[in-house]
Amino acid sequence: MKGKKEKKSSALRKNTLREILRTKSRFIAIFAIIGISVGFFSGLKSSGISMIATALKYFSDSHLMDLSLLSTVGFDDEDIEEIKNLEFVDEVMPAYASDLIITQNDIDSVVKVYSVPQKTKTNKHPLNEPVLKQGRLPKNEGECAIESYFLGMSGYKMGDTIKFNPSVEGRATTDIVRHTEYKIVGIVDSPLYLTYLRGNTTIGDGTVAFYMMIPPEEFAVERYTAVYVRTNASDGRVYELGDEYKELVDEQKKEIEKLSLKCVGRFEATTLADAQKKLNDARKEYEDKKTEALDEISKGEKKLLDGSREYYEQSGEAQKKLDDGEKELAEGREKLEKGQQDYKTGIEEGKKKLTEAQEQYNDGLAQYNKAKLEYDTQIDEAEKKLQSAQNEFDIQYQIFYSSTKPQAETKLTLLKEATDILLELLEKAEAKLNELRKSEILGEGIKAQISEQKKKIAEYKEKIAEYQQQYEEGKKLLEDGEKQINDAKEKLDAAKAELMSKKAEGALKLNEAKTQLDTAEGQLANGRLEYETALSTGMMELQAAQTQITEGEKKLEEGKKQLVEGGNEALLKIKQGREELAKGRYEAHVQLDDAEKKLSDAEEQLSSLENAKWYVNDRDYNPGYSGLSEDADRVDSISKVFPVFFLLIAGLVCFTTMTRMVEEHRTETGTLKALGYSNTAIAMKYIVYAGTAALLGSIVGGAAGLLTLPYIIVSTYGIMYSIPPTVLTINWASYIISSVTGIVCISLVSLFACFKDLRQTPAALMRPKAPRPGKRILLEYIKPLWNGLSFTSKVTARNLFRYKARFFMTIVGVAGCTALMVAALGLKDSTTDIADRQFNKLTMYDQIYSLSESGTAKDKEYIMSQFHADEDFENTLLANMSWGYISHEGHDNSMSIRFTIGEDQEQFLKMFILRDRVTHEPVPLTDEGIVITERTGEVYGIKEGDYVDITLDEEKYRCRVTGFTENYAGCLGYMTPEYYKKITGSELKYNVILTRLTEDSRELEREIANRYMKSDEIITVTSMVEQINTMMDMMNSLDFVIFVMFFCSGLLAVVVLYNLININIAERVREIATIKVLGFYSLETANFIYRESLVLTILGGLAGLGLGNVFATFIVESIQMDNVMFPKEVSWLSYLIAFIMTIVFSMIVNFMMYFKMNKISMVESLKSIE
Amino acid sequence: MQKDFVKFENVYKRYKMGEVTITAADGVSFSIDEGEFAVVVGLSGAGKTTVLNILGGIDTCDEGKIFVGGRDISRLNKHDLASYRRYDIGFVFQFYNLVPNLTAKENVELATQICRDHLDSDTVLDSVGLSERKNNFPAQLSGGEQQRVSIARALAKKPKLLLCDEPTGALDYNTGKSILKLLQTKCREDGMTVVLITHNSAITPMANRVIRMRSGRVESNVVNPSPMPIEQIEW
Repeated sequence: MKGKKEKKSSALRKNTLREILRTKSRFIAIFAIIGISVGFFSGLKSSGISMIATALKYFSDSHLMDLSLLSTVGFDDEDIEEIKNLEFVDEVMPAYASDLIITQNDIDSVVKVYSVPQKTKTNKHPLNEPVLKQGRLPKNEGECAIESYFLGMSGYKMGDTIKFNPSVEGRATTDIVRHTEYKIVGIVDSPLYLTYLRGNTTIGDGTVAFYMMIPPEEFAVERYTAVYVRTNASDGRVYELGDEYKELVDEQKKEIEKLSLKCVGRFEATTLADAQKKLNDARKEYEDKKTEALDEISKGEKKLLDGSREYYEQSGEAQKKLDDGEKELAEGREKLEKGQQDYKTGIEEGKKKLTEAQEQYNDGLAQYNKAKLEYDTQIDEAEKKLQSAQNEFDIQYQIFYSSTKPQAETKLTLLKEATDILLELLEKAEAKLNELRKSEILGEGIKAQISEQKKKIAEYKEKIAEYQQQYEEGKKLLEDGEKQINDAKEKLDAAKAELMSKKAEGALKLNEAKTQLDTAEGQLANGRLEYETALSTGMMELQAAQTQITEGEKKLEEGKKQLVEGGNEALLKIKQGREELAKGRYEAHVQLDDAEKKLSDAEEQLSSLENAKWYVNDRDYNPGYSGLSEDADRVDSISKVFPVFFLLIAGLVCFTTMTRMVEEHRTETGTLKALGYSNTAIAMKYIVYAGTAALLGSIVGGAAGLLTLPYIIVSTYGIMYSIPPTVLTINWASYIISSVTGIVCISLVSLFACFKDLRQTPAALMRPKAPRPGKRILLEYIKPLWNGLSFTSKVTARNLFRYKARFFMTIVGVAGCTALMVAALGLKDSTTDIADRQFNKLTMYDQIYSLSESGTAKDKEYIMSQFHADEDFENTLLANMSWGYISHEGHDNSMSIRFTIGEDQEQFLKMFILRDRVTHEPVPLTDEGIVITERTGEVYGIKEGDYVDITLDEEKYRCRVTGFTENYAGCLGYMTPEYYKKITGSELKYNVILTRLTEDSRELEREIANRYMKSDEIITVTSMVEQINTMMDMMNSLDFVIFVMFFCSGLLAVVVLYNLININIAERVREIATIKVLGFYSLETANFIYRESLVLTILGGLAGLGLGNVFATFIVESIQMDNVMFPKEVSWLSYLIAFIMTIVFSMIVNFMMYFKMNKISMVESLKSIE
Repeated sequence: MQKDFVKFENVYKRYKMGEVTITAADGVSFSIDEGEFAVVVGLSGAGKTTVLNILGGIDTCDEGKIFVGGRDISRLNKHDLASYRRYDIGFVFQFYNLVPNLTAKENVELATQICRDHLDSDTVLDSVGLSERKNNFPAQLSGGEQQRVSIARALAKKPKLLLCDEPTGALDYNTGKSILKLLQTKCREDGMTVVLITHNSAITPMANRVIRMRSGRVESNVVNPSPMPIEQIEW
């Protein structure tokens, strides 16, 4: 259509302006749709870069280092100079850092202590300058600054004192820092720590709890422990979070590593060699001194020995002389004593002999006297006895013969007579008996008589015997008596004879004794004389000898005294000498030992300095750094896709709106055409109308989006990242692109909408456009169904299908909004529980204990047995965890992958759930191949049974993939020890122990970690809690972005629905008025319209659910990385929420429309069709 | 037949158009008896449509009283007005106002479905002579036919009052004539009270009563004792 170029008349402009004022709601709808879309898109697009800009500003403000250097031997100023001299190095800052331990509530925590960044001659600014949150930086002795993040958690306050444990791993704390107590004077945030991750350490429970800063002078170590380097990579030439920066820094890293060889070489050649030399010198000096000292000691010893020997010799001689003297003296004394003794004995003897002789003589005299007396007595007695015996005999003799003998003879005669009588009686008795016996008849009397006779006989006999015996006895007694008298006469005669002889004998003996006694008396007198002479001579001799001895003793005493005096002196000297020597020896040994220890310490230290190495780390080495750009990217990738859908829907809805508008102005268009306005001028009205709405929308919406979203989103991430306030960076490109796109699209849409009308003649346009004929719809042909519908339902059904385009548009518009909501919620579903799924359902270990490389299989067995016995562990698994690379045919790049090989398959399967994501069927791990994570397979397009190349320990192996397991975080692989052996041909070395605790408790974890960190076999303990939290935080921080998405989608839904329902009502004003006239009540009228929009909303919503799934998948795909899989699963709840929200929005809009509908005047129905 | 079935007493209606107040009904008073065929005639802007709208319950008056069947409808609220329209009024529009998406029969049903006591839609359509076109959509019908549907829709509700707003205005002569014939027949045969407004004075002879309006006032209210059949009227 060619139109004359003409100046737009002011009337037309007024018309357009009035149009806008008249149709406020339509204008606002377009304004809002574009505003929301542009604001959302540019706001989100600016969030990622604002986040990055904030971080970059932080990096630059704090002069964050590009490279941090650590060394096994520390650094010296020369190293710093060397580094500084590198071409690309801008600034170098030497620093100190050390891990120390504090104990709080019985829990040991590891603290990383840094020196406060300083300006030195090699750096213009302090590098990694901390942000001071409170107080001031420590600058005096005993002051420190603590990080803000852990301030609340640790319970420390400003002004508190932090007290270190006195020793760290056997090393005194004061060897590392000057004090053990530091007062908190400031609270800081170091740019070295972007997140709350504090990294690992080899001491304590293996995790750094927090960091703090003290002045560099407070470090007691000699060489710098760290060097921070800022290179030209961060001078703004490249994007510091991009690959280019990484490459550049990598190169620089290599340069420094190269330099490190030189520096280490120099260190070894100078410092180390010096030290070695010094050490050697010291060693030599030590040895010399030692020898010298020992020599001296032995000399002293010898002197002492000599002295004491001399002393002993001399004193021996003197002693001997003394001894000799003494001996002689003793001999003399002995002799004297003997002499005295002899003298005494002699005298005694003489005396004794004399006495004895006297005694003998006396005895003899006494004996003689006694014997004479005895003899006289005995003779006297004997004569007396004899006399009495003569007398007695005489008496006895007389008695016997005068009395006894005649008496006995008389008796005997009597007895003789009695016996005779009895014999007569007996005879008589016997006779009588015989007589009796002769009588023939023995009567009773006779018998008695017989027995009586018999008895008498027995009695007689007995008496006879008795008398006879007495007779005999008497006779005998008489004879005996006679004999006795005769005997006694004999004896008496014998005694008389004996006495006579004895009397004579005794007198003889007494005479002899008298003679002897007289002789002895003469001898005794001689002896006494002799004795007295000897006594006086002996006495004189003894006295002379005594004098001699006394003299000798005196001499000896003198000699002894001399000897003792001399000896004591010598001994004292010897003792002193010995003491001096001992002291000297002790001192010498102490000194030597000290020297020796110092030497060996120095040697040990020196040997630890051998094989010196520098470690050059880039920024990613700091915990949390690598996540930053990923997080920013993730926000960015969400904003890549989502807002595009948004704009699409906005465009669509605007098209509908504008089409309707153009239709409404059909007559006007015709009139204007008829009046001669060009097509362009007419079209301009719509373009200006829509364009103005879009322009205003993009200005207001853009401003709103740009000024809110980046702040909100970045500060949401700020919970995770400790970065300073957001630096708003507007992504002008996205803003302009989205605005321009919005405005241009709307204008084009408007042009397109009026294009059809402009082509018609004015006359045709001025004729009312025939209303679209009613048509039977397909549904009507399904009679049973159609007839079953209520009248109004039929009307609704037919209405719905009447304007197919509008029907379609509405459904698409609603569906789009629903889909956006589903996508937002689906994204939430995908990100919400992956941490939970990953760590509570798939990889279920809580801790990783890494084992010392030097540990033998036996050590491992031992530590495993300890772990097995520990009841705090639910499962323990000895395993090999190592990083390698995986690559697959047709893919150039390889991906790093972590292999886990468990020793015990049963335990392994308790900690690693290998299963299919969808079916949850277990994925078997066999000796025939490896199982890898689903995402890895997806990235490389690996199919089951395919062969992949893996690199382990720099060796490449080919192995078969036997399965894929559900996994969300990380690129992981699993195999059996047997398969490992099969492919590598070597025996597997286990390097970790994985454990699962009986309860989820951070305290328990720390306690156990502390328990085992003490063991030599355990180097570090990694807690999965950290990882889980990191991942959860990462995902949770996406939540806000998702919420914004959801909110904006909802907002869009409201606007779209409002717009669509508004159009619907506007189109049917006449109809509504008519049915009102027909007597429909307000609610009935509303329902007549609502039913339709409700059906449209439901249909659109349902379509949106399907579309939302597609959206969600698309968005999830766009944000997932090679090593993180987000499950593309939208939960039914999300669908439900999105659907219900759509319905709710629709109802809200309908409610708003109710009033509008009520306002429709029935008078309208009477007007002619325009 | 009730006398003064419809009665306007001093009815005023003013429209405010910005600063200008237009008095559309300026003290209108008239009455119509039951069963009459009344024609309100006047030039455009004479206030006849205003009167009809107020009578039909689609507009309200500012002052005065309107009685229909003895009931004052001038003070009814919105809902009662809707009920009044529903049960007492049949409205025939100049532009038929059929729902384009509904067939002839359905358009009638649209009215009957909300009335308790209504005529069968087929019967009504038969009576307006549209037996053959019941299932056609308005677009498939001629203007006259559409107006017949409109009348059928109004009649089906068994209204007390049939109001017609220039029913022939959009129709050609013959068709208009036949529509008027139909209305006259309905009035005569069924005793329906019909109020018809028109700018065409030529058709007044067919009415029982002719009310002439001018500038919002009733100029005359004349009863025609012998109305002419429509066939005899030419214009």
